[in-house]
Amino acid sequence: MGYLQAITILSGCNLLAVMGMAVLTGYTGLFSIGHAGFMALGAYMGGILAKELGWHLVPCLLGAGMFSGIISLGIGYPAFRSRLRGDYFAIATLGFAEALRLLLNNIHSIGKIRLGGAYGYMDLPLLKDMTFLPDWAVVVLVCLIALWVTHMFVTSQYGMNCIAIRQDEAAAQMMGVDLLRTKLLALFVSAFLAAIGGALLAFYFGYINPSFFGIQRSSDLLAAVVFGGIQSLIGPTITAILIVAVPQLLLTFAIYRFIVYGLLFVVVMVFRPEGLFGYVQMNSRWITRLWRRNPASGME
Amino acid sequence: MDWELFQQQLVSGISIGAIYSLLAVGYALVYSVYNFTNWAFDGFMVFGTFMGFSAIISLALPLWLAVIISICLTVALSVTVETTSYRPLRLRKAPRLFMMISAMGVNLAIVNTLNLIYGGLFRRFPFEDLEPIFLGGISIGRMDLIAMVISAAVLVLLWGFLYRTKLGLGILASSVDILTASLMGINNNAVAIAVFTITGVLSSVAGLFFGMKYAVYPTMGSITIKAMIASIIGGLGSLPGAVIGSMILGVLETLVAGYISSTYRDMFSFAFLIVMLLFLPNGIMGKSMEEKL
Repeated sequence: MGYLQAITILSGCNLLAVMGMAVLTGYTGLFSIGHAGFMALGAYMGGILAKELGWHLVPCLLGAGMFSGIISLGIGYPAFRSRLRGDYFAIATLGFAEALRLLLNNIHSIGKIRLGGAYGYMDLPLLKDMTFLPDWAVVVLVCLIALWVTHMFVTSQYGMNCIAIRQDEAAAQMMGVDLLRTKLLALFVSAFLAAIGGALLAFYFGYINPSFFGIQRSSDLLAAVVFGGIQSLIGPTITAILIVAVPQLLLTFAIYRFIVYGLLFVVVMVFRPEGLFGYVQMNSRWITRLWRRNPASGME
Repeated sequence: MDWELFQQQLVSGISIGAIYSLLAVGYALVYSVYNFTNWAFDGFMVFGTFMGFSAIISLALPLWLAVIISICLTVALSVTVETTSYRPLRLRKAPRLFMMISAMGVNLAIVNTLNLIYGGLFRRFPFEDLEPIFLGGISIGRMDLIAMVISAAVLVLLWGFLYRTKLGLGILASSVDILTASLMGINNNAVAIAVFTITGVLSSVAGLFFGMKYAVYPTMGSITIKAMIASIIGGLGSLPGAVIGSMILGVLETLVAGYISSTYRDMFSFAFLIVMLLFLPNGIMGKSMEEKL
């Protein structure tokens, strides 16, 4: 049971970051290859707030999210203002994540705060001590809240603006969508969610290390969104959970994992660029359909 | 400031810049024609190095034969990747980012397959250490010198190919406007195969040098990120820019490692990348890279 809980927590933390990526990539059409950097920011900031300042869980998560979001604006503003090509933005995020990881590897302490450099930031408060709920329940709860909020966001006017930008930037601008503000908002939301995922990860382990947030995690996140599909929340949610759970459950598969990812990237791009669940919306119609007497009537 | 130490650093910087420039030119070439960043370069380079390494270690072939085998196999891989993973996307007129993702996938698959086969160990080419040459007060490693000379020769050959042959001019024309070029009777598929043959050769040569200079290991391809940074400094899509950018990056990096600390070397490169992207996205010699309508 503990094993299943661990998988739930790990996939939950990834899921939060993937939801952020879904808003950024799946809805707004901006690719980020360095989203693990935002998770790292959240993990370290959450750790500092909880350990050094003794904040409670919820303010810690919100604080970590805000911090990461504000940093993301610092990268996003110059990048979007100069209308960088999409792949330049992706490379910039990669540079950001790598520079941050190397920086964290070499910072041993800031004032009294002992970040520990490559040894990692230790003795963080544990998730199960911070609340009265068991740790997996906290993660599931946070994920559900985040999923609901993200769903609200993408179905709102802001979300519509994001979709318009992904489909055709020039047309969106002509219709009066403020490109800079909408892209920054999407980046902010995605960095915020990734940071919450990172902070929860830190509180689960009670320990963080810069190597948790390397290129491999960024490819995990990107894989979840690319396989999950564009303009869909439920698709990336499913793939995010699968991507953590499958290698954990089938340990012999784990060594082939990145080879399979790699080939799947190519196959998805060549044969099904909209992803496995592209354009599939989250709804509860299938639940009501289960209750109908005649399932066929719900199919139209 | 110690003048001799500075000169020494300059020479080391240029020699690492020479290896970067081979890779950066490869990035720039693909970018100039197809407008996407060929992330699979990393994989090509590691593949080429391991093939050369295996030819020497397992088959006990002489060096020149191993180099030829490595180049041929890498070219075969590069062209196969082009026809299976990039061309279908191009024909469908998919967004450039899709090609980038596809290339990342190819890269992940190649590097991890090699990791599975060879393991993550650091290996060395079975060469004895060559005596460095002393020029005045500075020493130059012979390997560095060979790398510089051969890189320069490869770049000159490439320049000759691009500007003096029909196919090379076809590539240059395609880099201006691929559609018009094909209307003018330039065979698009021949251009694609030529471009990816060149990138195969460049990545294999660069990989062999890098492997001989340092070590052979599956994640050695991470230096291609440096080459990408170099080509962005020079202006993506510009071949002379890629060479200049590589030299600048190589020298600056060595100076940072020498005068500040080698732990900050990579961080400096990435920070430099971000500063370049944010404030001078067109690089030193690049065309305007703003998104056009």
